[in-house]
Amino acid sequence: MNAPTATASPPPLTRIAPDNWKLAILVGVLVSLVAVLAAPAAVSFWIVGAMAALIAAAFAINAYRRKYYGGLLVAPAIAVLFVMNIFPLLWSLGLSFFAYQSNQQSIRFVGLANYVKVLTSELTATANWLALINTAIFVIFTVAAQMIVGFLLAMLFAKQFPLRKYLLILVLTPMMLSVVASGVFFTYYYDPTFGILSYVVNSLTGEQFVLMSTKLGAVTGIVFADAWMWSPFVMLLVLAGLVSVPKYLYEAAAIDRVSKWRQFWTITFPYIRGLLMLALLFRTIEAFKLADLVILLTKGGNDTMTISYHLIRIANEQNKTSEGAAISYIMLFMVIVLTNLYLYLANRRSQGA
Amino acid sequence: MTVMTKMKGFAAAAGLAATLLTGAASYAVADEVTLTMAVPDWPPTRIMKKFFDEQYKPKSGNTVKLDVDFIPWPDFYTRVNASLTSGEQKYNFIVSDSQWLGAFVEGGYYRKINDLLDADPEFKKTLMNIHPNPLNAYSTYPYKSENYYGFPQFPDVLVNYARKDIICNEEEQKNFQAKYGKKLPCTGEELDAMTWDDFKNVGEFFRRKKGEMLAGAPAEDDFYGIAFQAGKGYDFSSMQINGFIWQMGGNIWDETQAPTGQAEGVVNSPEAVAALEKYLSMLEYMPPVAKTGTMDIFKSDELFREGKVAMNIDWIGLGEASLDPKSSKVSDKLVFGQMPGTMGPDGKIIRWSNIGGQPFVLTTWTTDAQIKEAVEFVKWWLSDDIQHQFAAGGGQSAVKSVYEDPKYVTYRPWNRAWAPQLDWQKDVWHVPQFFELLTQQQDQFDLAITGKQDAKTTLDNIAKFQQEVLKSGGLIQ
Repeated sequence: MNAPTATASPPPLTRIAPDNWKLAILVGVLVSLVAVLAAPAAVSFWIVGAMAALIAAAFAINAYRRKYYGGLLVAPAIAVLFVMNIFPLLWSLGLSFFAYQSNQQSIRFVGLANYVKVLTSELTATANWLALINTAIFVIFTVAAQMIVGFLLAMLFAKQFPLRKYLLILVLTPMMLSVVASGVFFTYYYDPTFGILSYVVNSLTGEQFVLMSTKLGAVTGIVFADAWMWSPFVMLLVLAGLVSVPKYLYEAAAIDRVSKWRQFWTITFPYIRGLLMLALLFRTIEAFKLADLVILLTKGGNDTMTISYHLIRIANEQNKTSEGAAISYIMLFMVIVLTNLYLYLANRRSQGA
Repeated sequence: MTVMTKMKGFAAAAGLAATLLTGAASYAVADEVTLTMAVPDWPPTRIMKKFFDEQYKPKSGNTVKLDVDFIPWPDFYTRVNASLTSGEQKYNFIVSDSQWLGAFVEGGYYRKINDLLDADPEFKKTLMNIHPNPLNAYSTYPYKSENYYGFPQFPDVLVNYARKDIICNEEEQKNFQAKYGKKLPCTGEELDAMTWDDFKNVGEFFRRKKGEMLAGAPAEDDFYGIAFQAGKGYDFSSMQINGFIWQMGGNIWDETQAPTGQAEGVVNSPEAVAALEKYLSMLEYMPPVAKTGTMDIFKSDELFREGKVAMNIDWIGLGEASLDPKSSKVSDKLVFGQMPGTMGPDGKIIRWSNIGGQPFVLTTWTTDAQIKEAVEFVKWWLSDDIQHQFAAGGGQSAVKSVYEDPKYVTYRPWNRAWAPQLDWQKDVWHVPQFFELLTQQQDQFDLAITGKQDAKTTLDNIAKFQQEVLKSGGLIQ
């Protein structure tokens, strides 16, 4: 008699049982609807939360009775993901359709007005667009600099040479430093009175040199600092690819007298392409969110405001919560499109190869 | 470990926990009141906490504890804002920049204290003993109304920090006299008499390259005559520019005139444009970091303490570090004066300036028992004796009977510039939109400071923005 255990049929909708998840969903949705419509927000919030917990519990008991242990094992992870990640995400998505400021008690549904405002309003949209353009500039230059420098460093460290181990640790240090420490370091590095950069240029040219006084200089300064910090990250990934290339391929190529250039493209590159793509993906997403260095080095001055810093000011300083939520969803949309574009290109390439 | 000892250990632990719990509970009914306070981490608040722990004896006989969260300045607004808007209701007292009043009063966080003042004549007397300008700035919302909210924690004004060894040098004195036909200010009184034109002259005069003679010796590094705040962050240019605008007969958007007062036409009036132009014209005589928009109050203070400038306009609040030989290369060469002014048509100097410093406020969720103790604490804090001690320990006092005492000027070298300047202090807006107005204004001023646009365009942009924001907020009709 093994029928009632593994393959027990699910309880009918109407039977009241702890594992009747269909009934739990029905009750949960109905009670939540009533609570949202009738009770004040502070109360209905907890009722809806309790209903979500009820449904989750029904699912868990159902899984236990029917011995879906796999599902039970991942349940805690899913619960944490939902509470810490998915719920706030959906909550802020919801907020972006309301007129809400975190320091005021009123809230009002406005539909897409926040999105229209941040994209087209004469008063505020210009700043958003400028910040977006600046962000694009930073994405292009910081990622390009990191990829090139990181790649070259990896090529260097793939070879054996004296003191390699110690130099490698030295090169990795910037990545381990906190951004604040690096930021403060670079403010002094670029400072026209105390900084070494201006001192050196000054003693060479005899003229006063203030790097951060123009947009070009400020962007260069930020890009350099960012590349200094994150090139080692790219290097680490590429290095992992380089050391995985089997030696015998090079030996075979050497016997065939294949040029170094062709060795690189036909042997080395296929091994590191996936990791390069990964580095590119990570750094693009990170660069899109660049705010820390800008705050530390320019405070957004000299037209270096990025969308991320702009968002911090709107959402955290000015308490315009729903407007901030709208901007962050536009950002999220852009990042998703960008990463999918990358992945699409990467896949097409690898299929074509 | 046997089962028995395990059991014993568990029982002992449970017993301990029980006594702790009941102990804490019984302690609480025996009238222990804890006041939780959010403050920026710097000497004036550290002193306050120290005085409280060492000296405060509540009249009620209760045990009163002051639980202080020291928060670093750069995070201060963010942390307070997050605590208030999240609804955690953690703090009873909050040190608050005066501009935040409107935003947090409208949010329902800051408690109006008029009922407490009416109920306690002594409390009212204490508060009314404060100079009206700081009182209006620190306590009223709307600005200059009769609604009171805060008490001075550390009142502050801008003063002129100067280097005696440079400006009193005979050679420099002689050359300055020859070049400008005026005496180079040297004493505190002479600094007080300076106008912005004199200040600019000092800037032009003391611009020295490395190796050129400076006060009888070759300069070790490039040297600059003057500095003041010109930074993009927070309010690090508005606080200086407002003074220029008021002194030269212009105005910022005046919230006391709401809702009929306008922003357009006022903020960008010809007087205001001329004032901003004057402010901008001095930047070329300042350390080159001024061109980057990062010369905030901390940077100009650092440059001054490192001996790179002859005069710096900065808050008194940053003064202690310049007196300390450990953090200042110029600690024994200092002389202080009032911030320069503008010569009025009657030959008297007009000295309007933006007030600095912070009040502390009560929050709305503070219980009656806590409020009773809080009021006693504030009365104690503003009492003459404590205010004298505070001033002697590096604070400032806006209480009339304290700063009018002849002893007061002996506490710190800048105190001589304190009382006369109090009559000339005004504050920036207290309205809830202040942060929006401030960031946009700071961004625009930064464009002017870094030479991207002229004064007229800058103020036109600010006026237009303020007009629209305040109109949609119902503060301009």
